[in-house]
Amino acid sequence: MKRNSKAFLKAEYDDLVSKNLDWKLRVLESGSTPHSIVDGKKVLMLCSNNYLNLSNHPRLVQGAIDAAKKYGAGSGSVRAIAGTMKLHIEVEKRLAKFKRTESALIYQTGFAANAGLIPQLVGDGDIIISDELNHGSIIDGVRLAKADRAVYKHKDMGELDKVLKEADKKYRRILIITDGVFSMDGDIAPMDKIVKLANEYGAMTYVDDAHGEGVIGPDGRGIGAHFGIEGKIDVEMGTFSKAFGVVGGLIAGSQDLVNFAYNKSRTWLLSGSHPPAVAGAQLAAIDVLETEPQHVKNLWDNTKYFKKELKSMGFNTGESETPITPVIVGDSGKAKELSNLLFDEAIFALPIVFPMVAKDKARIRVMVNAGLTKKDLDFALGRFEKLGKKLKII
Amino acid sequence: MSSKIGFVVNPIAGMGGRVGLKGTDGVLKEAIALGAKPLASEKAKETLKEYFSNYSTKDEVYWFTCSGEMGADELKGFGVKKIEVVYNISDKGTSPEDTRNACKKLMEKNVDLLLFCGGDGTAKDIFEIVGKSIPILGIPAGVKMHSGVFGITTSATAKMLHEFVNKTLTIGDVEIMDLDEELYRKGEWNIRLFGIAQGIVEPTYVQVGKTVYESVSDNAIKDELAEHVMDEMEKNKDFLFLLGPGGTIDYIARKMGLDSTILGIDAVYNKKLIAKDVNEEEILNLLKNYPRVKVILSPIGAQGFILGRGNLQLSPKVIKKIDVDNIIVVSTPSKLSSTPFIRVDTGDKKLDRIFIRKEFMMVVIGYRLSRVVRIQTNNF
Repeated sequence: MKRNSKAFLKAEYDDLVSKNLDWKLRVLESGSTPHSIVDGKKVLMLCSNNYLNLSNHPRLVQGAIDAAKKYGAGSGSVRAIAGTMKLHIEVEKRLAKFKRTESALIYQTGFAANAGLIPQLVGDGDIIISDELNHGSIIDGVRLAKADRAVYKHKDMGELDKVLKEADKKYRRILIITDGVFSMDGDIAPMDKIVKLANEYGAMTYVDDAHGEGVIGPDGRGIGAHFGIEGKIDVEMGTFSKAFGVVGGLIAGSQDLVNFAYNKSRTWLLSGSHPPAVAGAQLAAIDVLETEPQHVKNLWDNTKYFKKELKSMGFNTGESETPITPVIVGDSGKAKELSNLLFDEAIFALPIVFPMVAKDKARIRVMVNAGLTKKDLDFALGRFEKLGKKLKII
Repeated sequence: MSSKIGFVVNPIAGMGGRVGLKGTDGVLKEAIALGAKPLASEKAKETLKEYFSNYSTKDEVYWFTCSGEMGADELKGFGVKKIEVVYNISDKGTSPEDTRNACKKLMEKNVDLLLFCGGDGTAKDIFEIVGKSIPILGIPAGVKMHSGVFGITTSATAKMLHEFVNKTLTIGDVEIMDLDEELYRKGEWNIRLFGIAQGIVEPTYVQVGKTVYESVSDNAIKDELAEHVMDEMEKNKDFLFLLGPGGTIDYIARKMGLDSTILGIDAVYNKKLIAKDVNEEEILNLLKNYPRVKVILSPIGAQGFILGRGNLQLSPKVIKKIDVDNIIVVSTPSKLSSTPFIRVDTGDKKLDRIFIRKEFMMVVIGYRLSRVVRIQTNNF
């Protein structure tokens, strides 16, 4: 009998739907701004990664327009063949300067950076040592590597030390990988200590600073700057898709790293390069970060105010040290219910439930934004208080 | 969700009563003192109270149990309607025979889970009847509970029961441990591995979509461990591999097509079984011909022992010859989640100290994936 080649498509989708695990895509009918229109409804946007509200910043928009007008809509090729434009090189130079590293490289996305570079840095006879709570794109990069893997307890330097000690005896290269800012809890990896340990054992360090880029450190220069160890982390990987308000992945480090990376990363070599408009906006984003410090300041002022008020209402905001603010509810069902009720009240914030977080630590994850006014924050806080009481969370 | 639960209480749980008459040394006296107290009924009620007050509202459970203090008494007072007594006890008190007979009756009712209250002895009696046909869950009430069937506390057991009924837990191997009575009479306290039962364990989750996780079966994880072990054998062709006891390693061996023993130690060279269920002397003889050896071990029982429980053949003499660094520990992540330590009790202080100095061991938890786990010994 001939097999039914495509039946699984519907069957697996239906299964997800029946378990309520499918993505019900919400559609933005406005730009991604603090006041957005989502599925036809005006809402306060509390779940975008557009931390600094740069995605609609006039200078970024103008940067995109100017570049498109001058260089067109597309780049025509992959970077390696004929798609490297002067604009791309300029972004990379400016980025390295901003990150205070020797060099930098733009990838098509953050995922492309992790999935492309990690498997090239290590191979057979090597080991990757990874924080147990690392992001999915790191995990996929790690899976593609031929190296052995070991995990250590979240941010536990004692355990990392023990793994290094064991690994030191057996392996050629050792690569320590961690998220910079952990996306579920908003806590920060102790990068200074990780670098110190890595140096003791001659290990490489790789940090995925997607949620730290533009957010932590002086002027939002990321985790290296946050700990005052610029240029000491072997691979600082980050993104233009979040605080920078555009799209794209990046790595910053030595010239050796960059030379190696673009010659070896298959994702980089085999994907088309960013259109001029993207590069133009990226360049403008770096300009804005260097010349308009108010955005990072606003982000942190808003974060501190929002967290303080939530705590005084009796909410548990966990271990967060960044604008990622988990409002811990406990039960997964309750977190989903709260998210729905919040949406009814014109607040768009995502529930994060088991098994993404522990069974009793389901939460609403609020991403604070620099563009929110005090009035906006008070509005959100009022709704959280009302619904928190209604659901007996506070 | 609806489930059929078989429920048995061993009212004189623990080994105290059973062994008290024979024992002499300090450990035994302590066991008698603790075991003599009829704790089981209270522990069972504690668990049921926790379950009925916190979890049972949406659970549809049909209870099958025994009369009097072997179950019906404990279930009384919680307003349980769907209950059937399938085994009646006599007035003369209960014995292991009662536990076994009750299990036979419960099996006839096709229960989905056997919930019991007792200690290692009770677990063993139940396992003798139930085998691997249905999962067993123990309410901890004995003096010693080395078997892997027990919840950590009464409230943890109540939660596991609820999660079993709601199918959010998966089925996995758990060891049934038993006191070696022969050695015991000589005044030596030794725990041996009696069998591998089915228990309920926390599943391992793998992220498939951004927020979608799939729980992975225990066997899928063991497949990965098997791949890992096969790679090790491939890489170390001149090594003799000793495979320790337990469900995890037995699964790995069978995956490799080896007719291994589940409770004993088997020797593999060049991916072929060259000796089965070897004792200490036989291992020492093998070591004469095969100077390079690796041992594959997995934590055994509730406390996570890799040496000193259930594999006494791997004596201090054997381990010293092989070298501690040639021990490879494999474990499913769910097993590690219930035993955060791995423990050694080799009976040789000098050897134990080598493990203590190591502090941690790398434990393989997936294909080429490991994590460090703290080592504990009984001496410190």
